[in-house]
Amino acid sequence: MRWSITTFAIACALFASSLDGQQSKPSEYQVKAVYLYNFGRFVDWSSTLPAGKNDSFSVCVIGQDPFGRALDNTLAGELIDQKKVVARRISKPQDATSCQVLFISSSEDVRLNNILPVLDRLNVLTVSDMSRFSERGGMIQFVLEKDKIRFEVNLTNVERTGLKLSSELLKVAIAVKRNSQAGD
Amino acid sequence: MFRIQNNTITKKLTRMNMLVSGAALLMACASFVTYDLFAFRETIVRNLSIQARVAGSNSVTALVFNDSHTAENTLSALKAAPNIVSAGIYTLDGQIFAAYEREPGTQLPRFISADHDETHSFKDGSVIVTNSIVFQGKPTGMVYIRSDLRALNAQLQLYAIIAAAVLAASLGTALWLSSVFRRSITEPIRHLADVAGMVSRDKNYTVRATLPKSRDELSTLIESFNDMLTQIQGRDGALQLAHAELEQRVSERTFQLAAANKELESFSYSVSHDLRAPLRSIDGFSQALLEDCSETLNDDGRAHLQRIRKATQRMGFLIEDLLNLSRVSRTEMHTQNLDISALACSIANDLQNAQPERQIELQIEDGLKTRADPGLLRVVLENLLNNAWKFTSKHASAHIAFGMARGNGTPAFFVRDDGAGFDPAFADRLFGAFQRLHAMTEFAGTGVGLATVQRIVHRHGGRIWAESALGQGATFYFTLSETDS
Repeated sequence: MRWSITTFAIACALFASSLDGQQSKPSEYQVKAVYLYNFGRFVDWSSTLPAGKNDSFSVCVIGQDPFGRALDNTLAGELIDQKKVVARRISKPQDATSCQVLFISSSEDVRLNNILPVLDRLNVLTVSDMSRFSERGGMIQFVLEKDKIRFEVNLTNVERTGLKLSSELLKVAIAVKRNSQAGD
Repeated sequence: MFRIQNNTITKKLTRMNMLVSGAALLMACASFVTYDLFAFRETIVRNLSIQARVAGSNSVTALVFNDSHTAENTLSALKAAPNIVSAGIYTLDGQIFAAYEREPGTQLPRFISADHDETHSFKDGSVIVTNSIVFQGKPTGMVYIRSDLRALNAQLQLYAIIAAAVLAASLGTALWLSSVFRRSITEPIRHLADVAGMVSRDKNYTVRATLPKSRDELSTLIESFNDMLTQIQGRDGALQLAHAELEQRVSERTFQLAAANKELESFSYSVSHDLRAPLRSIDGFSQALLEDCSETLNDDGRAHLQRIRKATQRMGFLIEDLLNLSRVSRTEMHTQNLDISALACSIANDLQNAQPERQIELQIEDGLKTRADPGLLRVVLENLLNNAWKFTSKHASAHIAFGMARGNGTPAFFVRDDGAGFDPAFADRLFGAFQRLHAMTEFAGTGVGLATVQRIVHRHGGRIWAESALGQGATFYFTLSETDS
C-alpha cells in the first residue's frame, strides 16, 4: 500500500516536472513582458506618477506589437505603487503622455528620432530591443547574451527626465552607459 | 586524640561548606550556561535570518531579471561570515537559482519547498535557515543558508572555561571564608575538648574553659561545663577534707587504742608477775606446814593444806598462761621458712613420750612448709596438739591428724581429733581468754590456750576457726598468711 502511494507520488512529481519543463521554457517575448513589468518596479515613481486614485500604471507598446497576449497576461492583476498595471497599445508618441513604461517596437526603428524627442518631457521609461537603442537616446535596451535576455541602460538618457532608476536594477544590467559630452 | 576529633569536625565543616557552595555554584553555572546557550542559539538563528534577508533582498533584481551570476556574486559576500557553509537562492517554484559553497562539494538541496516564509532547523551539527524573498509585497524567491555551529561550540568551550574558573575561584574563596568562619565554631570546641581532656587526665578540677566572645549554644555548653567543673571541684574538696579528717580520727583512735592496749598488757603482765611471788610463798609455806607440822595436824587439816597447794599450783599455771599470752603479744616476731611437718612430729613425739600408755594413732602429713616465727608457731602447734591429746583422753584409742586442707579458698593447716568435740553453737566463744566449754573436772585447763593461739595466728596475718559437733571430735583450721602453700 505504502509502496504504491510512494510510486504514485514519484510518478506525479515526474509528470509535474515534465510539465514544468515545458512551462519553464518561455518564449522571448514572454520573458521580455515580465522584464517590462519588472523595470517598472525598479523605478522611483513617487514624483512623476499622477496622484489620482483611479489612475493606472500603463505599460505601452508603440508600433507593431510583438507580445500578443503575453503582455496582457503578464500584467494582469499586478500592482506597481498601489496602481493597477495595464497594457496599452499606442500609435503616436503623443499618446504616451499617460504611459509610464513605453516599449518601442523595432518596427519604429526608422521613426525613432521622431519619437524620442516627444517623450523627452514625459517621464516615460523607454525600452526597446532595436539595435543601438541606448546609444540613440533610449533608456533601456534588451540585449541577447548567450541565449539569455539581458539589458543595458543609458543613464544619461534616464537622468534627462525626472526618472530615478534603482541601483539594484543597474546592478543586473550588463552595461550602464553614459553619453559622452561631445555626443550630447 | 582530641585534636584528631577536632580535625574531623573541621574537615566535616569544610567539606560541608565546599559541597554546599560547589552544588550551588554548579546549579547556577548550569542554569546560566543553559539559558545562555538557548539565547545564543536564538541569536545565531536571528543573525542567520538577517543574513538570509539581506542576501535575499540583494538578489531580488537578479531573480526577476534571471541573472544568476549577479545572485552568485551577492551570495559570495557571505565569505565574510566563516560560519556559513553554504547558501542558495531559489526561484519561487523551488528550483536552485544561485549557489554559494564555502568549500567545494558542500551539498546544497536542489529543490526547497516554499511553503513557509521562514524556517530554521538544527541538524548534523549545523543550523539551516530558509527565508522567502519578498519584494514589494510579492514573493519572489527563496534563500537558504546553512551555518555550522562552530560559534556555538566555541561559546560552549568558553563557557566551560569560564564556569571552571568561576567554580575554582569561588571554591577557593569559600574555602578561605569557611576557614575564617569555622574558627569561631571549631576553636571553642577544640578548646573545650582540650580542657575536658586535661580534666579527665590530670583530675585537675581547677581549670576552666574560656568562653568565646559570641553568645551561642557553644558558649552555653562551655558555661555549663565550667559550672559542672565548679561543682565537681567543690565536692572533691569536701570529700578530701572529710577523708583527711577521717584519717586523722582513725590514727588518733589507733594511737589511743594501742596505748590503752599496751597499758593493759603491761598491767596484766606486772600483775601476773607480781602475783607469782605471794603465790609461791603460799605454796611454799603450805608445803613447809605439811612437812614440818604433819604430826600436829589431823587428817582434815592435812587435806585442807593439800587443797590449798593444789589451788595455788593451778593459779600458778593460770598466771604462767596469762604471762605467755601477754608475751605472745609483746615479743618481736622473726619470721623464717619452716618445716611445719617436722615441728608437728617433734611436738607429737614429746606428747607421746609424756603419756606412753595412751593408744593414739598419729597421722602427720609430710613436707608441709610455711613462713612463721619458730617460737610462736611451736606455741600454736603445742596448744592445738595438746588440746587434741587432752580431749581424746576419755577414749581408749584416738586418731589425731595434722595436715593441710586444700578445699576451696585458701589452703589451711588443720589439727583433727576424734575426741569430745564441742557444741558448735558456742564456737565463737572458743577463742576468748578464760572461756571454757568443758567443766574443769572433765578436762584440765586454764582457758587461755586458744586465746594465745588466735593471737599468734592474727599476728602472722592469718585466720583460725574450728568445726565440730558434740562427741564427734573437732578440727581446728588455721592459716598463717596469704602466701601459705
